[in-house]
Amino acid sequence: MDNRSEVPYGTLDLMVLKTLDTLGTLHGYGIARRIEQVAEGALELNQGTIYPALLRLEQKGWITSHWGASDNNRRARFYTITRAGRKQLAAEAENWSRTVAMMARMLEGES
Amino acid sequence: MTWLRVLFSRLAGRGRTPAELAEEMAAHRASLAAEYERRGMTAEAAHAEARRQFAGATQVRELYYEQRRIPLLDNLARDIVYALRQLRASPGFAFAAVLTLALGLGANLAIYRVLDAVLFRELPVRDPGGLVQIQLLEGSDPQRVSYPLFRELAARQQVLDSLFAVSDVGLPAPDGGRGFMVSGAYFRTLGIPAQIGRVFTEDDDRPGAQPVAVLSDSYWTREYARSTSAIGRTLQLNGARAAIIGVAPAGFFGETPGAARDFWVPMSLQPAITPGDRINGAAYSWLSMIGRLRPGVAARQAEAALDPLFREFAHLTVTRFGRDYRVRVAPANRGIGDLDRRFERPLWLLMGMAGLVLVMLCSNLANLLLGRAAVRTHEIGVRLALGAGRWRILRQLLTESLVLCAAGIALAFPLGSRGASALAALASVGTGLRLEAGWHEAIFALAAALACTCMFGLAPAFAATRVDVHSALQSQHRTTAGARRRHFANALVIAQISLSLVLICGAALFARSLWNLRHQDFGMSRDALLVDIPLELTPQAIAHQGALVWPLYERMNLLPGVRSAAVSAFGPMSSLLRTVGISTPERAAQRTDVTRLVCVSPGFFETMGIPMAAGRGITAEDRAGAAPVVVLNQGAARALFGAGSAIGRFVSQKDRYAARDAMQVIGVARDVRFSSAREPFGFVLYVPIAQSPAPVTGIVLRPAGNPAQAAAAARAAVKSVDPNLKIGAIRNYAEAFEGGLGNDKLLAAIAGTFGLLALALCYIGVYGVLSYAVERRTHEIGIRIALGAGRAGIYRMVLGEVSLLMAASLLVGGAGAVAATRALRGMLFGFAAADYTLPLLAAVLLGSAAFAASYLPARRASRLDPVDALRQD
Repeated sequence: MDNRSEVPYGTLDLMVLKTLDTLGTLHGYGIARRIEQVAEGALELNQGTIYPALLRLEQKGWITSHWGASDNNRRARFYTITRAGRKQLAAEAENWSRTVAMMARMLEGES
Repeated sequence: MTWLRVLFSRLAGRGRTPAELAEEMAAHRASLAAEYERRGMTAEAAHAEARRQFAGATQVRELYYEQRRIPLLDNLARDIVYALRQLRASPGFAFAAVLTLALGLGANLAIYRVLDAVLFRELPVRDPGGLVQIQLLEGSDPQRVSYPLFRELAARQQVLDSLFAVSDVGLPAPDGGRGFMVSGAYFRTLGIPAQIGRVFTEDDDRPGAQPVAVLSDSYWTREYARSTSAIGRTLQLNGARAAIIGVAPAGFFGETPGAARDFWVPMSLQPAITPGDRINGAAYSWLSMIGRLRPGVAARQAEAALDPLFREFAHLTVTRFGRDYRVRVAPANRGIGDLDRRFERPLWLLMGMAGLVLVMLCSNLANLLLGRAAVRTHEIGVRLALGAGRWRILRQLLTESLVLCAAGIALAFPLGSRGASALAALASVGTGLRLEAGWHEAIFALAAALACTCMFGLAPAFAATRVDVHSALQSQHRTTAGARRRHFANALVIAQISLSLVLICGAALFARSLWNLRHQDFGMSRDALLVDIPLELTPQAIAHQGALVWPLYERMNLLPGVRSAAVSAFGPMSSLLRTVGISTPERAAQRTDVTRLVCVSPGFFETMGIPMAAGRGITAEDRAGAAPVVVLNQGAARALFGAGSAIGRFVSQKDRYAARDAMQVIGVARDVRFSSAREPFGFVLYVPIAQSPAPVTGIVLRPAGNPAQAAAAARAAVKSVDPNLKIGAIRNYAEAFEGGLGNDKLLAAIAGTFGLLALALCYIGVYGVLSYAVERRTHEIGIRIALGAGRAGIYRMVLGEVSLLMAASLLVGGAGAVAATRALRGMLFGFAAADYTLPLLAAVLLGSAAFAASYLPARRASRLDPVDALRQD
């Protein structure tokens, strides 16, 4: 059985933010690669879907972007996390950890 | 607030265009492919794998696109584009709809703009809400006050920040400008600074101060071409030379709307420029007072505080013994004067009529739209069948109405602007009114447009979408929704005809009232020529024109082409009016008396064509030193002496009879319309100008031949007597009289226009609804004809339908017309109390129009070819 799971709803934004927070400025491909690396094959990411996510984040003012040159010398768009984005990341991460802890307790208790 | 930022960034179109997104994703795929190649795949396999990994590029683009936009706005834009395409497909309908909406909304905007300027607009001064008018009421009539009273009130009062007095007596400047005297605190109280130079203050309004004047912006533009060198020049005002010290800001017209001022001078100049010393004399009541309330002081408190002050100094102004006086503090945020009172009723009335016209227009449009909806039943059925929501289609149809309305209102604004100027000119509402669009008007326009859209768009849209998909798809013509829609169309036509009846009836009433005014019994012939000689109220002018009485009289009577001539002071149609008290030994002057004194030369009655009811007119025998005589009009004779003959009795020109200035009545002249169309006749005293010397203010001539030649000869003759004497208009009585009919002409003209419009709309409405009915019933009529119904029978059927409609509308509209006739009675002239002839005539007219409109559809129905009709399905 394929034990790769789809990206849980609402977590892609958080992953993108965390990636940009850790690695600094990156283009879309870089972000997708990084997320796949970290997931170590446990995640099925359609790489295209990060683009709507990037737009969403940018519209919310959590990341900014500019055009630059990629490794293979093509024009690519580079994304950087903003101060508001970091704040959002901290809040979301905290929220996430609490949810995970809660879920863990709950599932342990059931079994 | 994140949602706000998102909305903003979406509105601003932030984010990439589709092309940029494509480029970004291509770069991504290339990187991915390069990676696979590095891992050892062939170039081809690498690209295929990259594409697989990057699955659903179109979906991503869709998602991305959705996120870049605001769906509601997007749909709206799509609806608008669709609506425009639909309207382009039927340009005739679009043109007619937009044009009628533009006219209807334009008329409403025009009237609203004048209404706003006359009734709502505040003075363009600092904090107009704080301004109050301080009035002295005699009973309930405001009285003017004297300068000494004003001075005491201003010095002692504790409730106002400041107080100033204004006079509405114009001071003519040599170049034709008219200035007004105001007290020193005028500009300070209103908060009006100078745009150049300075305004005057209390310091310039002290006795002995240097005479100064402040110009209005329009006068400065007109006479000084906005040159700063105007400052320091002088204005020659009778005996004084006032130095121009400044110009008031543009848009400031003074304190009286409709009467723009050209310049202002301090009141202390008065003794030098007009007769009498009104600054120290208590006998002149000539001022109105405006002040600014202290913060926290209410009008009531101010009244209570000012009342004892007034009582203390009442002896400083003209009051009449035994009358009841009190002080009133009234808001003056819109200035003073009677502009609003004069125009309030006609303007509201016009507004109401324009509103009715708009409602009619909308119901007409609704009918047209219903017709369109019928044609589009099939299309709408298809769209519903394909899964479009009813709400979605409704929104689309409403968008179409909204587009029409938007185009209409865009055109209505320029129309409204022109209309407002034309209306103001037609009604002669005066000078200096700011007829410009304000936020009031913008809100009004928006509300009117939205109301229209709802009125004409909503119901047809609902009707159009209430479609049974199944039958809509089966037939292009007959649907189950048809009957309901037809009822609705009939209701609309009934509403239209009823409203038309009210409007046409109003138009007829006003037209007839104007006719009555023009053709009333004036009591005299109306072809005598009146030569108006303006009089400036200066001692010099009064003396000068007093000396011209006999030279002018003699010269005029020698003119060839003139049968007779007379001169008068304060005579008919003169802008100057002199009133006196009148008493007899038995009857003291009463408060309600309005007694006009007219000084006339011999030959006056013959020349004017005023018949004598009894006794004789004034002749050359009634010279200075002879026994003082007077001619009364019938009204005065009846009131003073009852049915008994007035001839030989005595009257006195005083409030109480005094034998030493008694005059003997030698004649009674017929009542004549002296200066205004509808005023009661009042009392008129004609005295010989030889016995009561007065400055000549008018000449009357009875031309023997061509009036134009006589007028030219008279003008030349006046110039030969005194080359410097100013001559006003030379016209006959009928022409002079026309000038006083401004409001009546305005109402008749506009009501007439609206009435015609209503008639046309009614015709179109009936035609439209019948055409639709015939078209809808083509099949049925075909069967009837096939089964042997005659042409006459078909006619009868269609006309029967019209008769039903007409009966219902005339019932509703007739009630409205009668109610309108009653409500308007106060503004009409020469109607008997229960005169409903005109509403009846209007109903007949409308009925004929409706039957005329039904002729074509009825004929079409009767000439249907049954074979064609039955085949059509």
